[in-house]
Formats: sequence, C-alpha cells, structure tokens
Amino acid sequence: MGNQEIWVYVEINNLMVEPTSFQLITKAKQIANGRKVVALIAEPKMSHLESDIKEYGPDEIRILRDERFRGANDEELADALFQVVKRNTPNAIIFPATVRGRSVAPRLQAKLQTGLTADCLDIYYDGDNLVQVKPTYGDGVMCNIICPDKRPQMVTVRPNIFEAKVDRTIKPKIQAAEFEFHEDARSEVEAEEPVDHTSTDLTNAKVIIALGRGAYSEKNVELARQLAEKLGGKVGVSRPLTDKPEFTHSDQIGQSGTTVSPDLLINLGISGAVQYTVGVEKAKKVISVNTNRDAPIFDLSDYGYVGDAGAFLEAMLGNLE
Amino acid sequence: MKIIVCVKQVPENDSVKIDPKTNDMVRTGAQGVMNPFDRNAIETALELKEKNGGQVILLIMGPDSFTEVLRDGLAMGADSAYLLSSKEFGGADTLATAYTLVAGIKKIGKPDVILFGRQSEDADTGQVGPIVAEDLNIPQATFATKVETISATTLEVDRDLESSIQKVEIKLPAEITVRSEINFPRYETPINIVKSFDKPLTIWNEKDLNVDPDKIGKKGSQTIVTKVYAPKKETKQVKFLSKKAGDAAKTIINELDL
Ligand SMILES: Cc1cc2nc3c(=O)[nH]c(=O)nc-3n(C[C@H](O)[C@H](O)[C@H](O)COP(=O)(O)OP(=O)(O)OC[C@H]3O[C@@H](n4cnc5c(N)ncnc54)[C@H](O)[C@@H]3O)c2cc1C
Repeated sequence: MGNQEIWVYVEINNLMVEPTSFQLITKAKQIANGRKVVALIAEPKMSHLESDIKEYGPDEIRILRDERFRGANDEELADALFQVVKRNTPNAIIFPATVRGRSVAPRLQAKLQTGLTADCLDIYYDGDNLVQVKPTYGDGVMCNIICPDKRPQMVTVRPNIFEAKVDRTIKPKIQAAEFEFHEDARSEVEAEEPVDHTSTDLTNAKVIIALGRGAYSEKNVELARQLAEKLGGKVGVSRPLTDKPEFTHSDQIGQSGTTVSPDLLINLGISGAVQYTVGVEKAKKVISVNTNRDAPIFDLSDYGYVGDAGAFLEAMLGNLE
Repeated sequence: MKIIVCVKQVPENDSVKIDPKTNDMVRTGAQGVMNPFDRNAIETALELKEKNGGQVILLIMGPDSFTEVLRDGLAMGADSAYLLSSKEFGGADTLATAYTLVAGIKKIGKPDVILFGRQSEDADTGQVGPIVAEDLNIPQATFATKVETISATTLEVDRDLESSIQKVEIKLPAEITVRSEINFPRYETPINIVKSFDKPLTIWNEKDLNVDPDKIGKKGSQTIVTKVYAPKKETKQVKFLSKKAGDAAKTIINELDL
C-alpha cells in the first residue's frame, strides 16, 4: 500500500517557490521518521527552482519538466501529477493550502479515489497513518482525521503554520519524473497578472492592527489604517467586520480566514473566540485592547489595555509623532 | 444555459454536538442556514441566466429539513430544486459527497455550468467542486471573482489566486467555484417568496439515483474522524497597562521600541 515516501508539492507563484512549500518540506522532515522526503515540482524548461528547494534539504527533488507548465491549467497539472503518482505511489502527499493547492489537490484526489483533508493545522504520524489535524464546526472544536485504507494519504496544510528551516547537511538527489504532458484545451489561461494586495495581504505582514466588533466605527477604521501605515503594517479584522463596507473576506483573520504570524499584533475590540485565536497563535508580541478585563483575548496577550479602542488608537497615533 | 448550483446548509450557531460514540457531528436541533457563500453562487447563476436564458437548478444533499434552504434559493429566483436525502448518505466525506452529487447531476441531465460557493463555513473547504468536476471530466475555474459570457459555449473567468489574477477562457460544460467578492447576492422579495412555494422541489434517495452502495455515505468515505477535542490553549502572562490611554501608549512605544 504505497511506498515509504512523503511527497511535498512545491508550488510556483510568479516564477518563485511559494514559501509554504519550504515550510512543508521542513515539517515533512521533522515527522518523517525514516521516510524519504521528496519535493515534487512541475516547472518549465528554463526555471531552475530546484536550486532554491535544495537549501531546505529534502532527500530528493523530483522534477516534472515541460515548457507548457507555464500557464498550465488545473486539469493539466492534476493529470501530470496523477501519472507520476500512479508509477510510484507514495505514502503521503502534502500540498500547500493555497488557492492553487486547493484547486489541484482535490482533482488529483478524485483521480486516485483516496482521502484528502483540507486546511490542516498540524500533521504527524501514528504508525503508518498520517494524523491530520484541523478545526471543525462548533465552538472551537478540533478533530483528528486519518485515511486508513488508501494511499497516498493527502492533505493541504495552511500557510505559515510551520517554520521553514534551511538544512544544507543533506544534498538532495535530483531526479526527472516520467510523465507525458497532455494538453487540455477546454480551459485556457489567457493572462496572469501579479497583483499587489498591499491592503489585504495579511499572510506575510510583520505588523497587524486587528479590528473586531467592539472597535468598529468609520473613524476607528481610519485611525487603524493610519496606525498601520505608521508601523509599516496591515489592518485585519475578525469575522463580524467582513460584512462592513470597508472590508472583505480576504481581510479576515482566523479559522475561516487567514492565519497570520506578525511580529506585532494589536487586537482592538476582539473578544478572543477560538475561531479567531487559531489564526493568530504564531504572532510574537501581542497587545490587546478591550473594555472587558475578563475577555479571553487577554489570555494570549503580552500587554493588555482595559478601555476604549478608539481612545487607545488616538493615544498611539499621538505618541508616535 | 442550464445551470446547477450545489448548495449546502450549515448550522447557524455554535450549538453543534459531537456524538461521543461515532465521533460524528450531530446537527439536529441546531438551526440551519444556507452557507452564505452559496448565495454568491446562486447570484452568479441568476445573472448568467438573465444574460443567456435557460434555467437555474439547485442541488443539495442532506436530511429532509434541508428543503428550507432550497426554498430560500428558490425565493432568490432559482427555477427548481433537488434534494438528495437518505440515511445512507450520512457521514459522507468530500469524496462520497461529490460522488452522490454527481449521481444527482447525471439524473437531472448534463448541465452547462455547475456552480459552487467558495467554501462552506464548516468542515469541508471548497474541495467538493473540483472533485465533482473531475468525476464528470469537465474543466474547472475555482476562486472566481468575475464570470463573463463569451458565447453560448464559452465563459471568461477571472480567478483570484491571491498573488495574481488569472484570466481563463473555459469551454462549457464547466465547474466554477465563486468567491464572495464576486457579487452582492439579491434579496428574496415577498413576491418571490410566495412564488417559491409553487416551484418544483424533488427529493431523491439512493434508489432513485441508482448509486453504488459502497461509494456513498460513511462506507464510501476514505477518511475517518478519530478524535474530536477542544484544543489546548497556550496562555501568556498579560501585563495590564495604565488605564490612561496616553500612558499606556507611551509604555508600549518604549518597551517595544516602536
Ligand atoms: C465555523 C466558524 C468559523 C469561524 N471563523 C472565524 C474566523 O475565521 N475569524 C473570526 O474572527 N471569527 C470566526 N468565527 C466567529 C467567532 O466565533 C466569533 O464570533 C468572532 O471572532 C467574534 O468577533 P469579535 O471578537 O470581533 O466580536 P465579539 O465577540 O462581539 O467581541 C467584541 C469585543 O469587543 C469588546 N468591546 C466592546 N466595546 C469596545 C470598545 N469600545 N473598545 C474596546 N473593546 C470593546 C467587547 O468586550 C468584546 O470582547 C467563526 C465562527 C464559526 C462558527
């Protein structure tokens, strides 16, 4: 039932490796327990991202090389990966839970008729089973999922849950994967333009000012944006604020939003529901502002200010001048 | 244009219980509402119909009580609705859910477009759309922020890939998963609510669908939940600041070197 390899799907984004893939290579090495960690990449001819991947020390880098991967659609990618998996079924395949990972992985899963757990927050082995940890519905409930009877075991894992660590002690073997590129003209990528999501890209923000229901007013949004600008950061929100005209779902932090890992997080008028806090566990310094001294958000804060969010914002702006 | 929108019901509040024996989520009792993202999918379907003619059909898998969600969708303007309901469908993971939906889609008759909302609020995270597309061997465009009609057989879709926007021309039949940013779903008007009660709502079980009993419900699922628990929380020692906002701000700015 599959060999003893863990494959990490390396995603390419704007001609670079999407950073989650490095995080997943490090994680795979940590849980491998003797299993071989293989980084799998589908890249066009002139791209040589294996030199970047090497730094993180997988045991092997397996390359699907074809010029047509530039602008390949989900169907073509899933088809190519399927051929490689069929030749040599691994124990597990780990995808980043990015848009692309979430689109290609389930197509591959359907071809393989195996299990896939999306959006995991943790993974580890229990014997031969990969335990897949993810939040589930309900009041802060987590669940463990396994796929006991089929291989490969498939997961997508959230960005920024694990830290990528450079490991030059291993010289990965570089191998070409055998497959044939089957063109699928039913869907054609006509153009792809990088976008600067400066206002919304919370994933990599070093400073985040987070607004919750208790802090919402047009004025406070403006003040929070000013403070974010001053500190070189971004404004994020808890879920109730995604209904407000200033924000959308992509500004949302938490279980059904984005997982963040800033050096500094300032929570304003956020109570600290588990669905919010799972998204901010990796924040380094945390300041929280809440009128209620007993709000759970203070349990994960370094500094607490019991009082009004607007007053705090104004004081910060006033004193930073 | 024949458009099928797959919708889902999610519990409205957090009062969901876990069956300690089977580890399944027990949702009876918890009031259900339509997964809010599915309203965006229905809106997309209605706009496609306004432009191209045709019909909008809703499809859902779940217990009989889910007809209420279908009524909501019909009141938004969909033409008909199908509920796939049977005890045998229970405990399905995404693979078994997609298999069942595909059986329903085949029985309804091949559509031009199958729409899904971006992701449901609870357990599964937008996987079912791509699995359905693969099972039907049709192309997909996920995370769509714009859908435009090029011709009766071609759509142009903008996909938001987070760090880039991709423009895709896709031949029908196709599966599209929409993001909530794509539109503002219309409200149910009183007249449409009244009309919704006259629209056809069909219920099918596993016999109607002629499905392989080994591929539905719990039996057809490759994944099993082994444990459900409250995560342990790491707590920090919080330092409460002065109640005077100015002093509090100064302390932070000094101590964190801002
Ligand atoms: C399946 C599921 C997924 C979810 N996913 C997410 C998610 O990804 N992200 C998310 O955020 N939520 C999510 N939620 C919702 C979550 O459970 C909470 O409801 C939500 O996080 C609460 O947001 P909040 O803290 O802003 O609001 P509230 O809980 O209403 O808290 C407001 C806080 O503001 C304080 N306050 C009031 N006035 C002031 C003032 N003037 N100044 C300062 N403080 C003040 C109050 O004391 C209170 O603590 C999810 C829920 C479910 C069921």
